[in-house]
Amino acid sequence: MKRPALHTFAAIFASVVLTLPITPTASAATRVGDIAPDFQGTGSDGKSYGLAQYKGKFVVLEWHNQGCPYTDKHYESGNMQRLQKEWTAKGVVWFTVISSAPGTQGYVDASDENSYLARMKAAPTAALLDPSGQLGHLYGAKTTPHMFVINPQGVLIYDGAIDDRPTTDVSDVNGAKNYVSEALGEAMAGKTVATPVTRPYGCSVKYGN
Amino acid sequence: MSGRWHFRTLGAAVLSLVSVAYAAPVSIPHGSVELLSEVPSLQPGKSFYAGLKFKLETGWHIYWINPGDAGQPPKLTWQLPAGITAGPIEWPYPKRLAAFSAVDFGYEDEVLLLIPMKAGPELRNGGSANLAAEVRMIVCREMCIPGRAQVAAKLPVQAQSGQTRANPLFAAARRKLPQPAPRSWEFRATDQTEAFLLSAVVGGPIRQAVFFPLEESQIENAAPQVVRTSKTGFEMRLQKSSQLLKPIPRLRGVLLLGDKAYDVNAPVR
Repeated sequence: MKRPALHTFAAIFASVVLTLPITPTASAATRVGDIAPDFQGTGSDGKSYGLAQYKGKFVVLEWHNQGCPYTDKHYESGNMQRLQKEWTAKGVVWFTVISSAPGTQGYVDASDENSYLARMKAAPTAALLDPSGQLGHLYGAKTTPHMFVINPQGVLIYDGAIDDRPTTDVSDVNGAKNYVSEALGEAMAGKTVATPVTRPYGCSVKYGN
Repeated sequence: MSGRWHFRTLGAAVLSLVSVAYAAPVSIPHGSVELLSEVPSLQPGKSFYAGLKFKLETGWHIYWINPGDAGQPPKLTWQLPAGITAGPIEWPYPKRLAAFSAVDFGYEDEVLLLIPMKAGPELRNGGSANLAAEVRMIVCREMCIPGRAQVAAKLPVQAQSGQTRANPLFAAARRKLPQPAPRSWEFRATDQTEAFLLSAVVGGPIRQAVFFPLEESQIENAAPQVVRTSKTGFEMRLQKSSQLLKPIPRLRGVLLLGDKAYDVNAPVR
């Protein structure tokens, strides 16, 4: 029960020192409608990626754990790769984010992740390695997969599940309503996102302390 | 008590030993599942309870109707003979399961999920009925493994029924079902921007209480539930979920006081 007290402290701290880079916590998570907080992350390709450099583009964040059966459902079926290819072809920046702490399920180093991406024929813009969980906590990522969509103005416009079938069954991919595609499609057409928030389903993100 | 009554009781007991054909527990990842009936035989036109008993290895869990931050509740797909119908699962209160700065709601070790059933009047005495179902679940510890099991129980159809060896399990599970709160109690919730303040008037000071939300994404599951004791109950601060964007008219859930659980359906102001 020590951590909650720390969280509270960090939340107060964060609300006071708004402009500085914050040590994010679950209680400081971003809400739909807020400006998505900037971050700097390291990709498995060794490059550095920041949100700010993609202003003017749609950005998707996909929380990932290659050992999680809910994640598997979308990679074994090819669903996630299809989405990555479809949307990056339309100019969307797609970050796969791995927040598993060292020693937990889904933790990978850069070379593990690169061979996974190659094996799965995955096509994100980059896979960001976040073993400290900092990026995960900043956005309040709860599950794998947990999806976020940020619009070209930098506003968070979707936070939630990948689709409306919270199962591990590959057969549930076909015919599911894909919330990420809906949000991107609507926002690109200048419409408001009809379903901006859903409960993310999946395995818990394996954060460290 | 007449001698005849004794004879009947004895008859029922013997009957129960020979008549219910439970299939053996079926293996699932890190545990087993089994379909049980509270009655040894079905009586045409009568209601009865079936139960889905999960047994899990130490440290592994399955989920409550609201799984919390991750996971999903077991799903039951019945294959029932004509004339038999099943109602929705009645869920014993769960446990808060904390891991990786998330909190899930579920069951460890052993749980019996209760299912109200009805045998139609058209069932024929002397026959038998096979209750069967496919169960899908996800079993988690630090990782999650999906499972699927086919369970069944075959019961004779006859005018009389009695006890089974599973009765104590059903009684124990029923004690863990949330009850309607006594009429003199009152639950109210106040919307405080970042949190809901749940006030409970329950006729005496309460020091410890746990709230399990029925709806997803209303409160932050992992946030501490800060209880302030009052003369007639308590006030509990429940941090709002960062996913909650609109006001909610009611806060629904299950409140655990000691080992008794109560339904909460509090208006929010």
